[in-house]
Amino acid sequence: MDVLIQIVASGLTLGAMYAVATIGLSLVYGSLNMLNMAHGAILTLGGYICYAVIVHAGLNPALALLAAAFVCALVGLLIYFSAALPLLRAENFETNIFIATIGIGSVIENLMLKGFGPYPIPQPLAVGGQVVIGNVHIPLQNVFILGVAIVLMVGVAILLQRTSAGRAIRATSMNREAAQLMGVRVGRVYAQVLALSGALAAVSGIMISSIATLTPVMGGDPMLKAFIICVVAGLGNVYGAVIAAIALGLLEAATQYVLGVRWSFATLLLLVILVLIWRPYGLFGKQQVVRL
Amino acid sequence: MTSIRRDVLIGLVCLALAIALPVAMPGRYVITQSTLFFIWAIVVVQWNLVLGIGGIFSLAQMALFATGAYAAAMLGFYWKVPMLAAILMAGVITVAVGMLIGLACLRLRGPYVALLTLAIAQVMYVLIVNDTDCFTTAGGCMPLFGGVRGIGQFGDIGLRALFPSKWYIAHYYVGLALLAVAVTISIVVIRGPLGLAFRALRDNPGYAMSRGISRFKYQLWIFAVSAFFTGIAGGFYAVHFRVVGPTVFSFSTLLFLIAMIVVGGLGSIWGPLLGAAVLMLADEGMRELSDYRNIGLGLLLAVFVIAWPNGLNGWLQRSRASRN
Repeated sequence: MDVLIQIVASGLTLGAMYAVATIGLSLVYGSLNMLNMAHGAILTLGGYICYAVIVHAGLNPALALLAAAFVCALVGLLIYFSAALPLLRAENFETNIFIATIGIGSVIENLMLKGFGPYPIPQPLAVGGQVVIGNVHIPLQNVFILGVAIVLMVGVAILLQRTSAGRAIRATSMNREAAQLMGVRVGRVYAQVLALSGALAAVSGIMISSIATLTPVMGGDPMLKAFIICVVAGLGNVYGAVIAAIALGLLEAATQYVLGVRWSFATLLLLVILVLIWRPYGLFGKQQVVRL
Repeated sequence: MTSIRRDVLIGLVCLALAIALPVAMPGRYVITQSTLFFIWAIVVVQWNLVLGIGGIFSLAQMALFATGAYAAAMLGFYWKVPMLAAILMAGVITVAVGMLIGLACLRLRGPYVALLTLAIAQVMYVLIVNDTDCFTTAGGCMPLFGGVRGIGQFGDIGLRALFPSKWYIAHYYVGLALLAVAVTISIVVIRGPLGLAFRALRDNPGYAMSRGISRFKYQLWIFAVSAFFTGIAGGFYAVHFRVVGPTVFSFSTLLFLIAMIVVGGLGSIWGPLLGAAVLMLADEGMRELSDYRNIGLGLLLAVFVIAWPNGLNGWLQRSRASRN
């Protein structure tokens, strides 16, 4: 029983972090058909900015969180204007933007390497203390992460379902041309989505670094996991991505317990390979009918 | 002049220059760096077949290269297979792995292929690096795939014994010969019926299939063809550096190679070679600024994709067309 509580507790924390990292990625793919390979670097950047604001500028942690989200939203906008906008006018957008964002991600990552050094730094934004359920001690940090993640997910859901900007985003991801014909400014939707995805990446980077440590390359793993989650859910399916994120978080916690930490990532990757072969459009994705 | 004649001419001129290089510049550093260039050029030329001609967005080429390198090293280490045979067998093993990956990607399109192949490469890396159980204890604890430290001591192709002080020049010519064969194969594929089928499937899969071009058959073909020389290049890499470690999976190598293709020009015959040469030279030039290497590579990649998606090759062709 205790083991089960332990697995569920850490699985939910992992799943919540992955979900926040994945929502942004999934929104961007849904509306632009763009796989953002710089997502991991933006996520790490968020963690570092939070650290720098708290430690070097000595400001309030809440301000640090906002500052990180703001800067990463700006980076998202920068990617839109410098890469996505010119590439959307040319052919082969999906391939080209993938390659371009690999390059951009590498630039951001190595700039952080120059600025903050290669050594792991602890994330100062952390909550002490723990709660006890049964015989299991759960750090308050995990509860805090879960809370922030739920708030963010509810926020994104309200944004998507209840506001006109959200309606525009949903319309664009359903059918770009039709949305455009109905007067949706698609360019503005793209910019909004990339900024939102940057801000969400920053928050998830802070969460992830607060239970591990900050290193310039820490974004790679969560990004790959976020991609896996997107793929399992079906690229662009935001709500499916949340469910898949939590399921994969629980699965990861369970494999870590059963097989050991070493094999958990490999198991996840094998799983996604199998899912892709069995259902190429994801578990919750609809099969796309290609018209010729 | 027909395009095939032009290709043969360019190829022969490059080959002659490359054969003469060790005479003109016998310095050891130049020769070994050029050998490394040959190895990367082989991989890039074969990758271009999948990526540029086939239009299949596979990132598995480095994983295939690693398969070849590890296969050759393990055959030599565990079964004491002579390295010449081991390299050939590594090529065949890589073809098998490449065809498996091709099968797995068959139902996927575009970015899903990239993610799947990236995931496959990452699984291989994670499994190799995280394996710490001793498989053999001869000469210290060693996991099945060598773990973090990699595999060494697996024999040689004999050129080091044959030319004790000039072995690196011998390796240079071996690399050059392999590259020449790889480029020839790539020209034959691109200009021949196989390339026509690949391009048809890339440009309009529906029409191509309705005309009876089997996607199943040709996708397996393209993975098999491009895997063979990539595997051989991997085996030669193992012999040349005498050790194979998990660094062959590193993201910066992948970045370096993909930048070669993009800078040179995706889908052209000489573009990837040109890109490989330019980037190797630029890398040498930036040696002093090695901290900024990956920043420069990333910028180069992004700028080329955004501003010159056809690469240097496209730029050359445009300037030739405007001259005529």
